[in-house]
Amino acid sequence: MRFVRRHLLTAYAMLAFAYLLVPIAVVIAFSFNNPAGRYNYTWKGFTLDHWRNWDGVPGLREAMTLSLEIALIASIVATVLGTLIALALVRYGFRGRGGTNLLIFVPMATPEVVLAASLLTLFLNVSLFQLGFTTILIAHVMFCISYVVVTVKARLIGFDRSLEEAAMDLGANELTTFTKVTLPLIAPAILAGALLSFALSVDDFVVTYFNAGSRVTFPIFVWGAAQRGVPPQVNVMGTVIFVVALSLMVVNVLYQRRREGQPA
Amino acid sequence: MTHRLTRQELLRRAAFGAAVVSVPGLAAACGGGGGGSASSGTQKLADTLRFSNWPLYIDVNPKTKRPGTLEAFTKKTGVKVDYVEDINSNSEYFGKIQGPLSRGQSINKDIIVLTDNERYLSLMIDKGWVEKLDKDAIPNIINLVDVQKHPGFDPDRDYSLPWQSGMTGIAYNSKLTKPILSIDQLLEDKSLKGQVTVLNDFADTLGLVMLANGDDPSKVTDDMFKSALDRVKAASDSGHIRQFTGNDYAGPLSKGDLKACVAWSGDIVQLQADNPNLKWNIPKAGGMIWTDNMIIPKGGDAYTASVYMNYVYIPAVAAKMAAGIQYVTPVKGAREAASKVDPALAGNELIFPSDATLSKVHLIDPDALKNQSYNEQWQAVLGA
Amino acid sequence: MSFFHRHRGLTPYMLLFPGLLWLAIFFLVPLGFLGYQSLQSGTFDVGYAFDWAWGNYWDALQRYHAWLFRSLLYAGLATLLALVISYPLAYWIAFRGGRWKNLLLVLIIAPFFVTYLIRTLAWETILADQGPVVGLLRDVGVLGDNGRLLATSTAVVAGITYNFLPFMALPLYVALEGIDERLIEAAEDLYASRVQAFLRVTLPLSMPGVVAGTLLTFIPATGDFINAQLLGTPNQAMIGNVIQSKFFNLLDYPGAAALSFALMAAVLILIAVYARAIGTEKLTG
Repeated sequence: MRFVRRHLLTAYAMLAFAYLLVPIAVVIAFSFNNPAGRYNYTWKGFTLDHWRNWDGVPGLREAMTLSLEIALIASIVATVLGTLIALALVRYGFRGRGGTNLLIFVPMATPEVVLAASLLTLFLNVSLFQLGFTTILIAHVMFCISYVVVTVKARLIGFDRSLEEAAMDLGANELTTFTKVTLPLIAPAILAGALLSFALSVDDFVVTYFNAGSRVTFPIFVWGAAQRGVPPQVNVMGTVIFVVALSLMVVNVLYQRRREGQPA
Repeated sequence: MTHRLTRQELLRRAAFGAAVVSVPGLAAACGGGGGGSASSGTQKLADTLRFSNWPLYIDVNPKTKRPGTLEAFTKKTGVKVDYVEDINSNSEYFGKIQGPLSRGQSINKDIIVLTDNERYLSLMIDKGWVEKLDKDAIPNIINLVDVQKHPGFDPDRDYSLPWQSGMTGIAYNSKLTKPILSIDQLLEDKSLKGQVTVLNDFADTLGLVMLANGDDPSKVTDDMFKSALDRVKAASDSGHIRQFTGNDYAGPLSKGDLKACVAWSGDIVQLQADNPNLKWNIPKAGGMIWTDNMIIPKGGDAYTASVYMNYVYIPAVAAKMAAGIQYVTPVKGAREAASKVDPALAGNELIFPSDATLSKVHLIDPDALKNQSYNEQWQAVLGA
Repeated sequence: MSFFHRHRGLTPYMLLFPGLLWLAIFFLVPLGFLGYQSLQSGTFDVGYAFDWAWGNYWDALQRYHAWLFRSLLYAGLATLLALVISYPLAYWIAFRGGRWKNLLLVLIIAPFFVTYLIRTLAWETILADQGPVVGLLRDVGVLGDNGRLLATSTAVVAGITYNFLPFMALPLYVALEGIDERLIEAAEDLYASRVQAFLRVTLPLSMPGVVAGTLLTFIPATGDFINAQLLGTPNQAMIGNVIQSKFFNLLDYPGAAALSFALMAAVLILIAVYARAIGTEKLTG
């Protein structure tokens, strides 16, 4: 019985992963497709042409690069700001705590199109902001903060303070306690928040579209290309990013393994 | 995008492009052209032409992967072209630019391209958010086909010039159904139930239905609109119409989820390359034609933009673009220029339609597009 | 005494300041403008003027409450489905993932790298009428002979679920990962069965994650429009579609603004009720 139950969980998890990744498999498969026309809907035959010619679609590479840059910076900034807010909300009582808690949810509840248009209005009225990279970044950080706050809070609530108290009893000051005890323990939550921010940012369309000026991010490019047929190079690009991200994680695992093999 | 066609077609298009450049008439047309090319009076050309367009809506030089005609323009005039393909929907693009334009701010573009079968093009002109064309710099305007010379939204062509046109008709999968040649069939043939889509803009869909009702969509009355709308609503409520789509009918049509749908001519050319069972026709009662127009948003450089527009109206250049874009060119003489180099292309009805074909397609009444009540009723049928 | 110790009272404010400032400038100010816009009246042709047009709100609620309910329903279903799918997944990663945890987390967000449209096109290929999935379901009898999966409410809810899965899975993981396994061992040492240990120890300790995940999924899902647009028929239109239509097609900016606030109010009220039901400590710590 134990055997079944133990493997039931694994089977379920595998099914869930399959559900998540089957569309990715289709995307990867169709990057090898060889359609004669502009549309990439039906399987026509295997080819490596689009992989060889991966840079053959003007503007695609630039769009992808822009999206990745923005996602990287936005997720770092949003994670820092969001983590600080989460710490304040969970650990301290202060005036306006309830209001702040509520405020965190409002950006998530705001329909994208009106949020986008209203933010654009702000940028238009303040000539300091030129539409382009900066405004996209500002917008992305803005809507990611809430997600980081909620994610990190999930770890902070129910966090066992006794470990911190023990550290301080042993002479550590607050900063040391924070960096050596608290931070490592909430690191998974911070990472999760960063990953969510990254995902949100790299995939955002509406808010970016309004506030990007002339810049074209990857989602904007794809939505545009879809008018005439999404070229297989888009699939190639997606596959590459996916593989690179996985590879980085594999490297991370191997690195950790090596470290664990070293004497303490 | 030429590099996604078969190799044969790829080579043919490259040869076509090269041949066009060497056509003797081109040099003369570029250089002379009635004295409007280099400078008109004391006007100066800008360094850069900022041009926003729809994706894959320009010819592409397979060697350099950049728009061939733009490169040629830069070579000829010294004006660099900052070409961005960030328009993917009239309503969304307008939604984005109305912010700055309504505040009197420039959107930093010299040319943008909007379609005449949605209200936004005439809104731009009515609101004064466009610059006047510098007609002195566009002597080639005489090459504009007659049917486009006096459209309702811009009767004297002071603000806009066509870029490319497209036709709306019925597409069907000949493997899955008998030929669907009329709107009556599309909306009422029981064998198609649940496997039909129509377009989500009313100029295309209701225009076709009005024609099927025997009405003329270039002069829409409330009664005409209502009876067309009711027909579509009935078909939608019964589940006969599966969805209202933008160009995302292409996927389901190719995969066989749809037996027939309202579709645009240019898309079908592409889909047929992979799926020869797909057929397109102008409905018996008539089809619709729409045109993407170049306009100069307020704050844009009217002179430089006009010089570019003049260039686009050279027949040989227009022919080259039509070959790459594969929609309908509005330039007289383009077909003749094309036939000298690629007769098969020149004979393709979907790219260079004959006069007989053109007589079967109609324009939508621009006032109908602006009618808020019509828009509201249509959006209600779409579900909102 | 450390700086923080001396200024203890200020600490929360210093932590909050950067993030809240960002939100204040780049969210609250635009929101204020949106509120102002929602009280305007007029048309696009003649222009809009501010005149305390509360009628916009009344109009919004009166005409569109059905869409509002539908949005809440679809979002609710999607959240529930996401929870059911994600909890075992997050549990597995947290307790069995070992050193591969981070890689598995990246796998969870991997679909976002290819953009929404591409993911949806892939699903349309998988769920096509002539495809294997629908074929199987027809053979088995779940779908009628002419049944389909696309362009139905099933497809819309499935689309929302799929796209918000990481927002449920990651917070769940975060809470589960923090559970000290020794607590579970202790429960089992005290004669609890595995199921009992789960129900009495793990599940309650993971509640902050469940709460976080449901909020991060439900709230944005209510405003979703794109799944209904691509995967649904007019009968599946959500409030987001109405707002899109008002904004882009009808150029009714005050109407769109008022409708947005109506949605936000509905969602926030639901959150307040939810917080009451589960106890605010799980929500706010």
